[in-house]
Amino acid sequence: MKYFFNLFKNKSEFSRKSKAAPKFEKMSAESRRRFLALMGATTAITATACKDYRDKGEIISYNKKPQDVTYGKANYYASTYRDGSPILIKTREGRPIGIAGNDIHPISKGKVSIQAEASVLELYDPQRLKYPLKNSNKTEWKTVNKDIIQRFQDISSKGKEIAIITGKINSPTYAKLLEDFASNYPNIKIYPIELFSDRNRRLAWATCYESNEYPAIDWSQANIVVSLEADLYATDGVPYEQINELTKRRSGEKAENFNRIYAIEASMSLLGANADYHLRLHPTVYYPLLLAIYNDLVEKLAPFGHTTIGDFSLEKVIREHNLNQKHINLLVNDLLNNQGKSIIYVGDNLPVQLHIIANFINDILSAYELYDYNSSYVEFYKILEPAEIEELIIKMKQGKIGAAIFADINPAYLLPPDFDLQGALKNVDFKISLTEKANETSKLCDYVLPINHPFECWGDYQARKNIINLQQPVIEPIFDTRQKEAILLSWINGKNEEYSFDLYHKYLKNRYIEISKQFNTLDFESFWYSALHDGFIQLKSNEKSTKKLNLIILRQTKKPIEDSGISIVLKKSPLIGDGRYASNGWLQEIPHPVSKIVWDNYAAISPITAKRYGLDYKDFKSSMIKISIGSKQITMPILLQPGVAEDTLVIEVGYGRKDAGTIGTGIGFDAIPLMDKTLSVILSGARIEKTGKKYKLFATQEFHKLEDKYLKDLHRKRQLIQDGTVAMYLSNPDFIQEQRIMSEEEIEKHSVNPPHEYPEAKWAMAVDLSRCVGCSNCVAACNVENNIPIVGKEECGNGREMHWIRIDRYYSGTSEEPIVSYLPVMCQHCDMAPCENVCPVVATTHSTDGLNQMTYNRCVGTRYCANNCPYKVRRFNFYDFRHRFADGYYEQDSLELLHNPEVTVRSRGVMEKCTFCVQRIAEARQDAKSKGKNFTGAEVRTACQEACPASAIVFGNINDPNSEISQLMKSKLGYKLIEILGIKPNVTYLAKLRNTNSEDLT
Amino acid sequence: MSIEVLKEPSVIEGKPTFVEIDEQISAPIDKLPNIKYLIALGITSTMLLIGIICIGATFFYGIGLWGNNNPVGWAFDIINFVFWVGIGHAGTLISAILFLFRQKWRTGIARFAEGMTIFAVMTAALFPLIHVGRPWLAGYLFPYPNQHHLWVNFTSPLLWDVFAVSTYFTVSFVFWYIGLIPDFATLRDRTKSTIKKIIYSILSLGWRFSNRHWHNYEMIYLILAGFATPLVLSVHTIVSFDFAVSIMPGWHTTIFPPYFVAGAVFSGFAMVQNVLIIIRKIFNFEHIITLDTLEKMNKIMLATGTMVGYAYGMEFFIAWYSGSQFESFVFINRAFGPYAWAYWIMVSCNVVFPQLFWFRKIRRNIPIMFVIAVLVNVGMWFERFVIIVTSLAHDFMPSSWAYYKPTLVDFGILVGSFGLFFTLLLLFIKAMPVISIAEVKAVLDGAQPHHTHNGGHNGK
Repeated sequence: MKYFFNLFKNKSEFSRKSKAAPKFEKMSAESRRRFLALMGATTAITATACKDYRDKGEIISYNKKPQDVTYGKANYYASTYRDGSPILIKTREGRPIGIAGNDIHPISKGKVSIQAEASVLELYDPQRLKYPLKNSNKTEWKTVNKDIIQRFQDISSKGKEIAIITGKINSPTYAKLLEDFASNYPNIKIYPIELFSDRNRRLAWATCYESNEYPAIDWSQANIVVSLEADLYATDGVPYEQINELTKRRSGEKAENFNRIYAIEASMSLLGANADYHLRLHPTVYYPLLLAIYNDLVEKLAPFGHTTIGDFSLEKVIREHNLNQKHINLLVNDLLNNQGKSIIYVGDNLPVQLHIIANFINDILSAYELYDYNSSYVEFYKILEPAEIEELIIKMKQGKIGAAIFADINPAYLLPPDFDLQGALKNVDFKISLTEKANETSKLCDYVLPINHPFECWGDYQARKNIINLQQPVIEPIFDTRQKEAILLSWINGKNEEYSFDLYHKYLKNRYIEISKQFNTLDFESFWYSALHDGFIQLKSNEKSTKKLNLIILRQTKKPIEDSGISIVLKKSPLIGDGRYASNGWLQEIPHPVSKIVWDNYAAISPITAKRYGLDYKDFKSSMIKISIGSKQITMPILLQPGVAEDTLVIEVGYGRKDAGTIGTGIGFDAIPLMDKTLSVILSGARIEKTGKKYKLFATQEFHKLEDKYLKDLHRKRQLIQDGTVAMYLSNPDFIQEQRIMSEEEIEKHSVNPPHEYPEAKWAMAVDLSRCVGCSNCVAACNVENNIPIVGKEECGNGREMHWIRIDRYYSGTSEEPIVSYLPVMCQHCDMAPCENVCPVVATTHSTDGLNQMTYNRCVGTRYCANNCPYKVRRFNFYDFRHRFADGYYEQDSLELLHNPEVTVRSRGVMEKCTFCVQRIAEARQDAKSKGKNFTGAEVRTACQEACPASAIVFGNINDPNSEISQLMKSKLGYKLIEILGIKPNVTYLAKLRNTNSEDLT
Repeated sequence: MSIEVLKEPSVIEGKPTFVEIDEQISAPIDKLPNIKYLIALGITSTMLLIGIICIGATFFYGIGLWGNNNPVGWAFDIINFVFWVGIGHAGTLISAILFLFRQKWRTGIARFAEGMTIFAVMTAALFPLIHVGRPWLAGYLFPYPNQHHLWVNFTSPLLWDVFAVSTYFTVSFVFWYIGLIPDFATLRDRTKSTIKKIIYSILSLGWRFSNRHWHNYEMIYLILAGFATPLVLSVHTIVSFDFAVSIMPGWHTTIFPPYFVAGAVFSGFAMVQNVLIIIRKIFNFEHIITLDTLEKMNKIMLATGTMVGYAYGMEFFIAWYSGSQFESFVFINRAFGPYAWAYWIMVSCNVVFPQLFWFRKIRRNIPIMFVIAVLVNVGMWFERFVIIVTSLAHDFMPSSWAYYKPTLVDFGILVGSFGLFFTLLLLFIKAMPVISIAEVKAVLDGAQPHHTHNGGHNGK
């Protein structure tokens, strides 16, 4: 029905006006020439990337070619994304079109977060603010600055406070700038607020070790990792680093080195989905179980100074809470047998008490051997405790705050309504929001000042003691925006100084002149340029000493969570974070790594609890429930999530934004109102009520009951997922090959067609399922590289998502304790591709290097190829999604710059699919040719491969016997999907090994 | 040497004279359309208009207006195509194969059935053209010489379809037209309107009922019948290759060609029977399209329906016997999965209800046979739905499964296809003789006094 009415609502696709060059509302004051001159003078590295394309209506060649720009060749500039991911920004003719990881970065090792992968969309996002606003009206920076400085002086003279409310400060130079600012205005106070942070971990560490800098953990050395509601693969710590290190030891090559991961949690986190053992636990049992483990270890090891606490014992906890005795005993034995190599890690946002107990357990286990104090997590400004936030609010209410500056933070959304920020702000005379996009907070502000995207900023970022990441701009601000540090700098002296783009750059450089002195460099310039080139500065740090645990603390801990009613676990979304990425459609459309839900959040509930309340999720229709805690209540849909603890709801926060532009507004449901003033993410005493309403909750995979006898374990029966235990593999490395139904020779014999010949190269891919954790970074990277359009929630629900690579998630086991398998599926580039011979117009063909090609120009869209593809990797453009999505979101000026010029932008009615990044192959081949080298393909890396934090994807030329892929193709764990069809796919999957007992496989 | 008991009963009831036949058959053409006709035409052309609007919207916005999704690339579009091609089977079967088998009872219904064939194939041919994502490039489906050296893919069953359907349409059309020539001449001679006279004169190609004309006519008719006969079998065989040649479980089946042909004849006869029951009533052709004729058609439906039922059973047997888990899953899923409702509609309409035709009383009861034939057409439409949608919706990768739901636009186009078919049919009724005047005259009692077992066919 909706289609029918939508027909007439939409603009005609044929009435689109032809587009001239992008016209932006207001060009920055900088001319291209001036900017180039300025940059050229300061840095040869960045200069050429920052050119202005806005002043031209047509493509003309350079009159004078900038030194580093070659048409058709991408330049990469090292920088840092807002979350600290060290990135290389890929620019083409001065235009950022994507990012890659910074391979030489000692911590990230070329891996980045999923948000960083998708960051380029934010840069060109037409939802960005394009000019400063005064009471929602357009204004000029000059007037803004004049007004604000005037107001600051007024406020200061009245003796009122100026509050700078900001997020977590990770930039040392920004921290210094704030200090400088505060020293010029003594009435300034800094208030860092975060909903999800390492605040509790830091507090616990400070309590136990009298230092608020907690060490990094060398995950690659850990044999046994026990996480307590810590999603190391998605939201806690630095996921890409943890995936990289933890999966290093999860591969068939080194099966004897396999680590073992236990996830103790109420939710089904991404780590839980990948853990060898997932122990479901009601949140109220965290405390007794941790203490029982502690007591058990104390009894068994009798470590010096530790004594048992209370009467918590494993038997009792297991009995009282009906836990899986076998698995818990296994866990404790593993911890005991791997002292110095085992660690318990508590989720960032869990109560401090649990962190303290974990510190104690880790102390007994000698986990400090895994600690890396050189790379400790530093802090420049302490994040406010909930009580301190309350104090701020009270001050606001009392009218003591004269001005509030919200520096790139959105507390109006983040803080629970209990705080009543909105009410408090009424008593603040003057409110300024520095933000990239309008949000809930900026709506309440007098001045809304647009700030730069990280790609337009100078900056630095330090999370670890031994390394500072640098940030350099690669494009002049697209809109009339300034970076937040520069805005503060232009107010710092109380004079309305002439702004220049270089303002903060100079400030930053000056600070590094000091730092450079500790390095043996000839001059500052060479130090600075090489640091910018690398994207980071490695600092000397020689902190080796292990800190001493304060043994008295533990006795004072109290049970942190009341046990009554239904418990709720609030988590950060692995995709849109705490809501700050909500307006990035790419991230919204990536299926949730565990639930595969798109464009929504939900209350995840165990199927058994759901049944008790008569709740259901069927055919994408979900029961709406009313969740109430005391007087607070929200309504949201449920999702039957296998593996979630009984009587528990797991809700991801970051959704339900009220003011997040055309893309993010109203997506999902806001669960923050359930929180109270303690900002605890574990809530108890909730009641749920069925509303009888249904809500459409779309996933990219159908939901089946795990008990359905026809569907149970279908992925294993069909050998889509082949798995086994490490022990099975070690005792019989051929166990996967023995399960083969047909040998390669037999398949060859059955083929009616002669095999193709591949004289030069033959491309193939291998995916190690033991490593793949399903984090979906590859999906984000593929979207950016291949210009994949966003289709929106409705179209995802219609089964029309366009992703070229998808991560299939399958459940085995029971709905209480599911065994999860991930399978990334992209086009398998079959030698005997079934899609090729059914296309009536020869639009999909076989190349001489083994690629299955799509010729978009020739495709008429019969969809026969997609029907005949057993892997269902082909994607049809049911609409011109660029026109269709969010009423022509894509057709706005700035987004035209988003696309990768090497990849055709597809229009409606054509079929598309993964190309194995053919544009990268072609580029490498041309390079080899122009250099007169023999082309082996060793340097070609696909976008998904580059993005994979687990290095699970390997791509290469199998005609080259030395290539890694040639070796992997021979792996004994290797298998092909649905091999018996005889279509000879070119993607080899390495069977998933689990470090469990074989009876735990089903 | 004729033996009275073996003598076939007359296929035409009563003993109308040649002139009476002329008058009766030409009556609908001679008279101005009455209000009933206009209402009928109004309804069908409204249906057609709905279809045109829906197709127009699809051209404008894209296939996204339909319910098709990523695993289910084909749905109503190809279901309708196969359905209408199937309907188009009865005509040529009746006019060509039954002609070769000397089934005289066919004369009353042949012309009409042929007309239905032409219109059904026209309706069917629409779908491959509109189902493509970029219909403005549908010309790429035809092999035409071009400077780009672009050629079509002869390994694709879709291309075979293009040839099969266009050949079938051409031959059916020529066959139909040849049969019409003597009747056009009759009409030419009868009409008093100058315009009509000119038109019929042109269409009748100078036919003068001469012996020589009749001789040539008989020969060419025979040749064309021989030519059309294999096409009846081939066109649906090739349509079935769209599925059988693929590798999808539930499609990749060798039983498809005979199963599809049987199904096509089945649905074609059901449609012809339905329409004829109405026509003979309205235009008083009860003595020409006799109850005997209808009964014979019901017998054919019973036979083909049973064949189709056998094929359903055999599919299940092979799915189990092949040992292929994909194949057996698809069939279990058809009967008991989310599309079970469609499957059981199909089985009951196609296999169960037609079995009632074992009873002579039911075979000769017009209201009941009408209802059964309607159900057969519903069932045959669902057969294609079951084959196409259930196989695609639940194939190899469980992760990609998706339930297909049609949209209003899908239904609009389905309604439009019926609108097109019936509009053309109504126009045909008013423009041309719906019963072959010449042939009916030839099977009248006494028209062939020398008819013996070794004699000629017509009027020798």
